[in-house]
Amino acid sequence: MRPIIAIASTTIGEAIRRKVLLIILLIGVLFMVIAPGLGILSARSETTVLKGMMLGIIQLTSALIAIVLTVYMIPNEIERRTIYTILSKPVQRWQFLIGKYLGAVGALGLMMGIMTAILLVVFFLQQASKDFSALAELAKGPAMYFVQMSLLAAVAVFFSTFVAPLVNFFLSGGMYLLGSLFNPFFQTLNDNAKTPMIAKIPAFIINTVLPNFANYNIQNPLINPTQTVRNESIYYVNITAYGIMYIAILMVLGILIFDKREV
Amino acid sequence: MLSKKTKSGLIALAVVAAIGQGTLQRTVIFPKWSKDFSIGKFESGGISPDQLLFAMAGFREMIAGILWVRADAFFDQGNYDAILPIIRLVTALDPGEIDVYATGMWHIGYNFTDEEQRSDRRYIPSAIALGKDGYRKNPDTYELYFETGWLWYHKIDDYYDNAVRLFTEAQTKPDIQPARRNLLAMALQRNGEPEKALDKYLELYERAKKNYEADSSFGNRQNMETIEGNVDTTFVRLVQRGWVAKEQGRSTDGYDNSPPHDVGFSAKVTVPEANILRIEGSWNVKPVGTRVRVVLRDENMEHATTGGFDWDYSKDVYLDPPKLATMMQDQLFVKNRRFNRKVDMSKDPTMYPFIQDNYVIEFYYNPRSAPPHIQDKFSWDGSGMTDKNYLNTEIRPGQRVVFASLKISRDMIRRMGEWRDKVPVCKTPNYLESNRVTGLNGEDVVLDIPSLRSSIGSK
Repeated sequence: MRPIIAIASTTIGEAIRRKVLLIILLIGVLFMVIAPGLGILSARSETTVLKGMMLGIIQLTSALIAIVLTVYMIPNEIERRTIYTILSKPVQRWQFLIGKYLGAVGALGLMMGIMTAILLVVFFLQQASKDFSALAELAKGPAMYFVQMSLLAAVAVFFSTFVAPLVNFFLSGGMYLLGSLFNPFFQTLNDNAKTPMIAKIPAFIINTVLPNFANYNIQNPLINPTQTVRNESIYYVNITAYGIMYIAILMVLGILIFDKREV
Repeated sequence: MLSKKTKSGLIALAVVAAIGQGTLQRTVIFPKWSKDFSIGKFESGGISPDQLLFAMAGFREMIAGILWVRADAFFDQGNYDAILPIIRLVTALDPGEIDVYATGMWHIGYNFTDEEQRSDRRYIPSAIALGKDGYRKNPDTYELYFETGWLWYHKIDDYYDNAVRLFTEAQTKPDIQPARRNLLAMALQRNGEPEKALDKYLELYERAKKNYEADSSFGNRQNMETIEGNVDTTFVRLVQRGWVAKEQGRSTDGYDNSPPHDVGFSAKVTVPEANILRIEGSWNVKPVGTRVRVVLRDENMEHATTGGFDWDYSKDVYLDPPKLATMMQDQLFVKNRRFNRKVDMSKDPTMYPFIQDNYVIEFYYNPRSAPPHIQDKFSWDGSGMTDKNYLNTEIRPGQRVVFASLKISRDMIRRMGEWRDKVPVCKTPNYLESNRVTGLNGEDVVLDIPSLRSSIGSK
């Protein structure tokens, strides 16, 4: 366990020093700070737009950070040959991969934590009633996005064990887009009685096999408080369990591929 | 390198996790997500891929807001056609935008008119479909149930059971405004259920009384007194219109709705110029307030029924109405027992394309839609009204309505072929050119509308 923790903490340190990640974070934070001024764009309640927009900024920025952070992680270690100094020590390859992944998740958590704090402060200042339970309710969004981004990071780490960073960037980004769009698409296919079985069967398989990032887009009831959701917590536990299982699959596959790879 | 045993263990773990995630996704997560977290059906029509990506990334509400501001500019410019796709896009992106649904329904239902301010009825099924979509996606608020009900009650002004159903559903929502509760009682009366309307008024009165006792503000007092007046009036009407006697199995002779009055309907349609109709006729009710509905439509129009239309046929919101169909609806205002109206359809060829060869002109009068002073004679169920030629109890089962139908061809309407130099005329066989209107026995009859409470105590 000690090597994994050591690699993870080093990875967090490296991530914090990477300027490109800090710039992405800075842009996200800037958008969040100016977001309250854009409420006038909407005919709808400013709070609704503010919530939707800020959650959107956190999600988009986090996805970008997750991909940029992880696609270069393994290939850079190999290219700079720093991996040799690590693997020459009593560190297994699987420990290296898991350590790297956990480090990425830790760095992601740190950056998402900053954005969440800004979200809560801005929303608190915007609120007239200063209701803390509303803040806790709003924090559910970034919490679930964190699980979503951990899954996205696992996808990128898995691909980084056998493809080049640029290819990985598009592969992981494409996977995220597909995983975010496929749930609604599948729903439409399912609801339409006229959809032929030949289209329904592959859609069913893809929806079962593909990582469904849309599961974590829980902003609807957060943005529209009139919408009531029963057994909300059970749903959050289920999607967290889903994410952990999917991450486990990707890590196992990544370990098996990385174990065989020439470095 | 991993040992064979470890590899097998890892593969087994991955297989178990794969089965676990698939099962969880299929049986638990997806059904729950579809029910509570989905934004509704995935509708990307009219949105570019970058906007879609942006929207799916969580900026839906902001994009919807920007689009709605743009729609407002189109409203100001009178560019109504441009607003329709925006309305659909905004409601797809942000189904919580109740105001957009409500404004959209009103816009689709009311704002597409011809030069003479007649609504394009071909759009109404889309307005209803938008309302249905709205209340299904916002089931916790009364607003869209109420707005859709209002469209049935006011714009369609027919098939009042739909308004009753939707107003009843709106009443179950905690956010309904007190004044809007009253409309259910009105809809119940139009639906021929005045006793239920009275029950509703009594229930509302109790509620208003409690509110007034808790807070004796002017608004609460005014609301209570208004409902009290409504209760009083409904009681009196139930008695004077013979409703109580009928319910008690007694004779209704001597009540205001007895004997039934012959309205002596007749009509003549001429085509003085291409696409312009002159509609004249008789209606033997002297007090003002009668409006006879006239509809000109394709003879084989889809979803049309004899004297009616299936307004609720559309399952989806179509932004284009059936452009090849022709449907004109207007009201014939009766003055001095005659109606005479010019209907000019020559300036709106897109609304009245006249593609088909044959058309029907339908005249329809339902006492349920009549103003209260006329209903004081005809009653809610039309028991006080008759017509020796055109009384109909079939097109609206259980209701007494006046219905007549004339046929007309496209050549006649457009003054083509043999009608180029000859004025086409279609009329009911009983149409007389004179202003005299006769009763059942040929006598000159003028309806004396009973005055409310004029004879209380004599019944």
